Amino acid sequence: MATDTLVTISLPKEKQSALDRFLANGFPTNKWEEWKYTSLKSLNDTDWHWNTSEEASLDSILTLETACTLHTSNGKMTLEGLLPAGVAYLDFANFVHQNPDFAKVFAQRNPILDQNSLYDLNDALASSHQVIWVKKGVKVEFPILHTYFASVSISSAIQIKLLIYLEEGAQLTWIDDLASSVDSQAILSNYVQEIWVAKDAHLTFVKTQDFGQMTTHIDHTFISQQDHSVVDMFTFSLNGGLIRNNLHFYVDGQQVISNLNGLYVPGNDQLVDSHTVVDHRMPNSESNELYKGVLLGNSTGVFNGKIFVRPDAQKTNAFQSCKNVLASDKATMNTKPQLEIWADDVKCSHGTTTGQLSDEALFYMRSRGISEEAAKTLLMLAFVQQVIDKVEIPALKESISNRVVAKIQQALGV
Amino acid sequence: MLSIANLHARIGEKEILRGINLEVKAGEVHAIMGPNGSGKSTLASVLAGREDYEVTDGTVSFFGKDLLDLAPEARAAEGVFLAFQYPVEIPGVSTTNFMKSAVNEIRKYRGEEPLDAVQFLKMFKEKMAYVNIDQSLLSRSLNEGFSGGEKKRNEIFQMAVLAPKLAILDETDSGLDIDALRIVAEGVNKLKSPDNATIVVTHYQRLLDYIVPDFVHVLYKGRIVKSGTKELALELEEKGYDWIISALVD
Ligand SMILES: Nc1ncnc2c1ncn2[C@@H]1O[C@H](COP(=O)(O)OP(=O)(O)OP(=O)(O)O)[C@@H](O)[C@H]1O
Ligand SMILES: [Mg+2]
Repeated sequence: MATDTLVTISLPKEKQSALDRFLANGFPTNKWEEWKYTSLKSLNDTDWHWNTSEEASLDSILTLETACTLHTSNGKMTLEGLLPAGVAYLDFANFVHQNPDFAKVFAQRNPILDQNSLYDLNDALASSHQVIWVKKGVKVEFPILHTYFASVSISSAIQIKLLIYLEEGAQLTWIDDLASSVDSQAILSNYVQEIWVAKDAHLTFVKTQDFGQMTTHIDHTFISQQDHSVVDMFTFSLNGGLIRNNLHFYVDGQQVISNLNGLYVPGNDQLVDSHTVVDHRMPNSESNELYKGVLLGNSTGVFNGKIFVRPDAQKTNAFQSCKNVLASDKATMNTKPQLEIWADDVKCSHGTTTGQLSDEALFYMRSRGISEEAAKTLLMLAFVQQVIDKVEIPALKESISNRVVAKIQQALGV
Repeated sequence: MLSIANLHARIGEKEILRGINLEVKAGEVHAIMGPNGSGKSTLASVLAGREDYEVTDGTVSFFGKDLLDLAPEARAAEGVFLAFQYPVEIPGVSTTNFMKSAVNEIRKYRGEEPLDAVQFLKMFKEKMAYVNIDQSLLSRSLNEGFSGGEKKRNEIFQMAVLAPKLAILDETDSGLDIDALRIVAEGVNKLKSPDNATIVVTHYQRLLDYIVPDFVHVLYKGRIVKSGTKELALELEEKGYDWIISALVD
């Protein structure tokens, strides 16, 4: 079995216990409730290289005005350009050394890790654990771009961990441009991001996932928010054999705004699984979740949206919506909203829909001379536009939109 | 231009068109009237290429081509236009974007160069004047939340942009107030030329006061049971359909 080679690895004590936890559970299978539609059992059949030293390089296809760029290539992170004033980039051990008080608070953040054995695997084996630290009151004008790229000639697991820490009143736009080569051997990309947004801070985070067919990407993005902070989160799952997004918001403050926007367009033999958690632990906050999916070919989509409103979280407003279009009768979508509300004075709503393109609309458009494929493309693009339009960086918006159109057209054979 | 012979069409087991014959020549206006459910919209849909209806017999030729053999988009490119009785809402697509796609797809079909943004702007401005339609309406999601009258006006705007050879107007007058009716009818008249033809489906004489037909046909139970000149419409307005129906031996 693929994990057999892990047994012989020896690690420092804490990492070793994380590894032991992983080995005790193994890769999730669809017998696990949280992985019902997304079995990773087949990962056992690959002889993973756990610590690749292969080089890979690719220029990001994005051309944007950025503050600086971080490149992660097969799990190795390097900085290009100068960090903007008030931003530090350092490894986690060093960061803890400089911020002992914060480290204590951070250690008690208490993320929800049910059935997430890959978090343990990352904990044990991450090749890099860096921190981006935006100091108090610093407003970073241009986005920081993180290009994460993988390409290997031997099947490899690539795992990194990153902490993004916004101190009080800080502002940052972070772009996560995740990709892998289309002709790479199998990749298990296991990516952990922990994000701390302190009082009055504002984070805009745009994540694009554009992987090759042989990539399995497991994403853990855990965001803790303090009083009066705002997070605008975007997850665009454009390509990849299997993508599992675990996106968690821990609302640990009051007057917090958490916006979760998601768009996925899986194609033939692809699966995108969005597991989101919004954990309202404090009163008077607001979360808005808008997910949209276009499922092409024989693809599979999964949406599991959990909203917890804890007993103390009175006057919470929590909204969730997940809408899907099945573009082919071979595509499937599994949706499961899960609201658990322990406070009584709250406003919560949720809705999921999965449907097909309207025949009436298609005929109307065709009767005006628009070909069937173009009509479908227009309708699907119109459907997803609402999410894309919320991205406020024109070049990024255009790049995402172009990739979505290209993917739809490819699926329709245009 | 259009020649319909013995056209039969059904949906599921139900036969709706049961032998339609109709000749339309360039420059002509034909009015089709008839009681609710007689098959008027079905005829219009079959001509536009709606796939829900199965044509079981008969032929339709359009400038010598077998119309029934063409996809709806090809029919549009050949010059057929249907103003829908119930225009469909297209969320997230504005009329302008919709029309840009339509015009350029049709130009592609005809082997012409696509129009650019400037050319579109000029063209839209000119065509907006035909039906007195507002720019703000054209920027909104097509037909979404439009009033009944706005939808109909928008249909005629689309017709003006596409400049079809054969326009089929399915109850374009219903839902229009008196002023709008006049504006829409004047728009249709301005678009008339010796080279194109119009089929108007209507229940009311008042539209025919503006769009004066050369021929009036009565459709009943899937057949044209009476044809005449514009005087027939006046007679129908006065007497209803009973006198025609009761004279029929079915
Ligand atoms: N999709 C359908 N399924 C079943 N029956 C249909 C369908 N479409 C039309 N019909 C039936 O065909 C008949 C003709 O309908 P059509 O809409 O063509 O009538 P019409 O002459 O346009 O009527 P109106 O004056 O009310 O607009 C009606 O009995 C209608 O119920
Ligand atoms: Mg009708």
